[in-house]
Amino acid sequence: MSLLHATWLRNPRGLSEIKPAIFLWADTWRIANPEQPRDEPALHPFSLSSKELKDWLTEQQLLPNNTTDSSASLTLPSKHIDNKTNKSEAIFSVLPLQAEETIPTKYEWWPWKINGLTLSPLEASRWLSKLPLSIKNTNLSEEILWWTHLQRWALKLIANGLWLPQVELNKEETSHHRARWVPLLNQENERKRLETFVETMPLVVLSSLPWKNKEEENISNKASSTFKTHRYLNPLASWRPHNQHFEVISLLEEIIDAQLRENFQPSTNNLDPLLNAWQKALGSDNGYIDLSNEAVKRLANATKNWKSGLSPNLSSAKTCLELKAPSNDTQPWRLKFFLQAESNPQVKIPAAQVWDAGSETIEIDGIKIEKPSELLLEGLGRTLTIFPAIERGLESPMPNETELSSAEAFLLIRTEAKKLRDLGISVLLPTSLSKGLANRLGITIKAELKESSKGAMLDESLSWNWKLMIGGTNLTMHELEELAQKKSPLLNHKGTWIELRPNDLKNAEKFFSNPPLLNLNEALNLTATDGNTLNKLPVHHFEAGPRLQAVLAKYHHKKEPEAIKAPNGFLGQLRPYQERGLGWLSFLYQFNQGACLADDMGLGKTIQLLAFIQHLKNQHKLSKPILLIAPTSVLTNWKREALTFTPKLSLLEHYGPKRCSNKENLRKSLNGIDIFITSYGLLFRDRELLKIIDWQGVVIDEAQAIKNPKAKQSIAIREVTKNLQNNPIRIALTGTPVENRISELWALMDFLNPKVLGEEEFFNQRYKLPIEHYGDISSLKDLKARVSPFILRRLKTDQSIISDLPSKIELNEWIHLSQEQEHLYNNTVEQSINEIASTPLGQRHGKTLGLLTRLKQICNHPALALKERNIDKNFLNRSTKLQRLEEILDEIIESNDRAILFTQFAEWGHLLQQYLEKRWESEVPFLHGGTSKINRQAMVDRFQEDPRGPNTFILSLKAGGLGINLTRANHVFHIDRWWNPAVENQATDRAYRIGQTKSVVVHKFITTGSIEEKIDQMILQKSQLAEDIVGSGENWLKKLSIEELNDLVALDKQNPEF
Amino acid sequence: MTDSEITTELGTEGLGEQSWWVEQWMELINTYRYKKRLARAWNYAREGNVTSIRFEGRRVHARVQGTEKQPYKIKLWLDILEEEDWRYVIEALAKKAKWSAQLLAGVMPKDIEKAFATTGKRLFPFNLQEVKSECSCPDQANPCKHISAIYFLMGDQFKEDPFILFQLRGRDKSSLLSDIIHQRSIIHKEKKVKDTKSILPSNIINKQSERIAIKYKPNFWWSYEKTLDDDLVVITPSTDKSSDVLLAGELPLAKDPKCPESHNTFIANLISHRDIQAQQAMLHAMSIKR
Repeated sequence: MSLLHATWLRNPRGLSEIKPAIFLWADTWRIANPEQPRDEPALHPFSLSSKELKDWLTEQQLLPNNTTDSSASLTLPSKHIDNKTNKSEAIFSVLPLQAEETIPTKYEWWPWKINGLTLSPLEASRWLSKLPLSIKNTNLSEEILWWTHLQRWALKLIANGLWLPQVELNKEETSHHRARWVPLLNQENERKRLETFVETMPLVVLSSLPWKNKEEENISNKASSTFKTHRYLNPLASWRPHNQHFEVISLLEEIIDAQLRENFQPSTNNLDPLLNAWQKALGSDNGYIDLSNEAVKRLANATKNWKSGLSPNLSSAKTCLELKAPSNDTQPWRLKFFLQAESNPQVKIPAAQVWDAGSETIEIDGIKIEKPSELLLEGLGRTLTIFPAIERGLESPMPNETELSSAEAFLLIRTEAKKLRDLGISVLLPTSLSKGLANRLGITIKAELKESSKGAMLDESLSWNWKLMIGGTNLTMHELEELAQKKSPLLNHKGTWIELRPNDLKNAEKFFSNPPLLNLNEALNLTATDGNTLNKLPVHHFEAGPRLQAVLAKYHHKKEPEAIKAPNGFLGQLRPYQERGLGWLSFLYQFNQGACLADDMGLGKTIQLLAFIQHLKNQHKLSKPILLIAPTSVLTNWKREALTFTPKLSLLEHYGPKRCSNKENLRKSLNGIDIFITSYGLLFRDRELLKIIDWQGVVIDEAQAIKNPKAKQSIAIREVTKNLQNNPIRIALTGTPVENRISELWALMDFLNPKVLGEEEFFNQRYKLPIEHYGDISSLKDLKARVSPFILRRLKTDQSIISDLPSKIELNEWIHLSQEQEHLYNNTVEQSINEIASTPLGQRHGKTLGLLTRLKQICNHPALALKERNIDKNFLNRSTKLQRLEEILDEIIESNDRAILFTQFAEWGHLLQQYLEKRWESEVPFLHGGTSKINRQAMVDRFQEDPRGPNTFILSLKAGGLGINLTRANHVFHIDRWWNPAVENQATDRAYRIGQTKSVVVHKFITTGSIEEKIDQMILQKSQLAEDIVGSGENWLKKLSIEELNDLVALDKQNPEF
Repeated sequence: MTDSEITTELGTEGLGEQSWWVEQWMELINTYRYKKRLARAWNYAREGNVTSIRFEGRRVHARVQGTEKQPYKIKLWLDILEEEDWRYVIEALAKKAKWSAQLLAGVMPKDIEKAFATTGKRLFPFNLQEVKSECSCPDQANPCKHISAIYFLMGDQFKEDPFILFQLRGRDKSSLLSDIIHQRSIIHKEKKVKDTKSILPSNIINKQSERIAIKYKPNFWWSYEKTLDDDLVVITPSTDKSSDVLLAGELPLAKDPKCPESHNTFIANLISHRDIQAQQAMLHAMSIKR
């Protein structure tokens, strides 16, 4: 997989003939030899050539319109490689580090030659406008996201008309004066945004220089002969940004200039010669102004003054005024003067130091400021035009501060501070007066559950009382009225300066005369996030009584509910986190709330649910059956697990052609049933029948199946759950990080707790659109706070889990055969047994072996047994094993884990590779006996090293089961069974070995009733037969009677019927 | 605006809201007795007969197209202050931070004459006779209508830059400012000697180098984890009329008398460009690939 990057190619020499551009390049992972220092930067060994890049971009539909092939010298952190071949002499050699690669402790800065494509700023802005604003496309690097955000900002500035045309004087005699369009950052928030862009900019954006070719050098030598001193055109020197602040401004300027320059050709009628020339230059490609030097200078001066009248010049520092409150009412307020670093508001220099400097430069945050006193005075002069109150402070020669009356201070706080900030004057206010809502008049709440309540219903009201609070201290209504009578907007209340607004008193009086009721649901919302209001009054503090606190803490996952031990009747152990999971399920059930258990794969969701149902049964809360819906591919697994762990629960499978088809039969057969299990497909088909049953509850497994609210299964679920009575159980199980899949959350919550997210239309407008389309973080936070009480997701890597977890988890994936598989299986057995029976004893061995192999192939996929070479349209549906495999791999890829897949059939490996590559549109390597030695090593290296390498890796058991190290995988799949568990374990140990940092999940697929289950049983029971098989190869086959053989291979009758 | 009556009253055509020092200049012109000549001069100025106007050192050089083929050459100047006087003025200017502050912010302080008071001189000419002038026209009267036309245009030039008056009195902006800084450090030293104890330790805070070191860590090389700012999510044109930058401040460029509509046309062109571009930017902003 390649990753696209973008870097800014500036012109380092200030020659305006070379235009700045954006340079696109991509890297990919490949085997590379470290480079040693030489005259020029070496070619970046992982980068794509311009041609490769173009082809790839075309394929990804990302190719911009007008690109030029070019090269750059890019400085990158690079890793030091010890060259072991020559021991006598340590050779210094390096390889560039790639994005997402772990940074070693030792690294070097090193310039690399990179080939790629340049884009003019105009093309770049168009291209960037079309890219997603959050990381969606994994082909795009994070710095491209930075670029797209920058372009987004440019669009906003253009949409709001925040720009001005300017004149840029030439820096050298030989170049031209130019007309430029520049952004006008005349609002405080826009200037802050600039600093944020500077702070967050990935350095790779500004770490390159254009690659100079011989011909170009000749041209520029003609232009200016002063550059001949360079010995090499492209010296081996690192280049990193020096003043990011100014470089980001110039980037923004280029992008905005390019966009505004386009299509500006208005009539020149009525224009004087000066404006005429300027207007023409503003609409021309190069921006050259055709005027005399003198005229251009006059124009430049005028436009500069025009701009500085509207917005501050973005210098490195600005004037800063800090308001200091007096300690009591009688003293005046003071406004102190500073110079503040533009790049770092923490760095302030008091005026006294500025006066000390005199005509010297002063250094602020590492940047030298010429004539700092003029900078300070200019800011004070501009302050004076808006806030005349400071005039009396400016009567002395070198003032450090001025005094203000409280009325003047109030004026500054309420209105003038903002105006000043927009003019580029920084204003700092005392914290108790500047923090917005936090210091405003609000309330503190004390609440507790009512005596009789257990805190089980969301809409039950609480017993509570409230107090007024302002500036961090409580006050009574009486005190508030007294304060209000002073009629002063700024008040000193118990030592803190506070601001009282006219509406505050009104809101407080209203609240006082008619306090609202407070219920548990509101308490939940008030405590979920900060900055809430209740009847227009900000809630500054919420104090819950011990009993309410206990409920809230559990809800907000601050405290896990009490663990519940494995219930009687549950055979087996629950790990501590599973006991907590069980506790959580019953906690939410008490509250009549649906729950989504979204534990990572391998943590035992099935077991926790079965334990929960057993728990309910023991508590006599299970009077009716629970409807459990799962994908077809896991029905068998459910039955198996239920049989193993909760044999006392009676389970009925609704599947196959002989399933209940009318009400009477269904009612009758449900008698005494605890769990009624069916597939999503049949749920939809039989919804009319199933919806008349009053289920105890509904459980959906692999809940991502209902992600689309309009899909058949989602509609069916809604119909079936609609009429359930009395606190039905609603549980969803999923292994995917469901809280990150915004679009799927609504359908999930609609099933669990419909009130939480409201109607779909509302949800889409309020959350989905802002978050998915624009990456709106505040909506996302709010959404997460709303749904998080109902979702429990624990990862294998969680600190609280990891100690409970064995480092290797073995999971059996029980599956049945698809219809086609079963027919093929039965036919094969029937034919072969007869054939073998009529074969002389001596030749039986070979035929028997052939039969076993063929049956195992059928369990994998009919296409494998039928020797098909290519995948067909129906490929997935033909094999239940493949369906289940795909489901599990989906979860693994979603969680960004990695998996290795073992099979004993090379043909199956090829088919699977074809299928999976098509399914995920990404590369899936396959290592088999026919893979060359070099390729093997490359595949293994890539899987282990490439930061963006493949998530899945197929290996043939024989070729890949030994000797190699694949510790980057934490999932191992044994798609088909081998007779000898030692061989499987050796393969597993490719991932489960020293160097593995995560717990490893081993998935073993077993088709129930088939030869695979027999093998599994034999291995488990260590029967004589198995010993034979394991011990002496295939000799045992000779001893097998036809009856024994038939028992071994024939499909078990317990298998679901069709 | 174009059809307003020709008048010698101030603040009419093209001048809009005036800074007080420009107003004062215009008042001065209006003290001229020969109103008819002044009206003709105003016409000259308005109709573009003034072909050039330059500030060179302490003189104003201008050319006015009169009745003859060749334009008349005009020179205007004020009496300059002696070095001695400037010393006093600069001493006075340095004593009050407000004066420097306002001048640097492009505003002429209203009480600026106080800084000149000790010298007995003035910054503004007290009467028109102080404005010395020469014109190459045959007219014997001084000021002739050509010179008077320049008077009007000088008002506009003052608006471009309040330092021009200082220049005409013999001190250009940069030397004036550096003189003031110098004078301020003299006061500063005297004060320090008086205070004996040092005011503040000059520990200049320097965090930049530290910050660069952090930023150069390779983790910063690639990663960008920020989500889009809330207010960049949906892009709409600004509805706040007061934030209209093209109308907020006038382009401080003296008008070319020959093209009185030039400024307005240019701004109108910019406004229509802005509106089209704003529309397009919004459209671009809505067409993101999901």
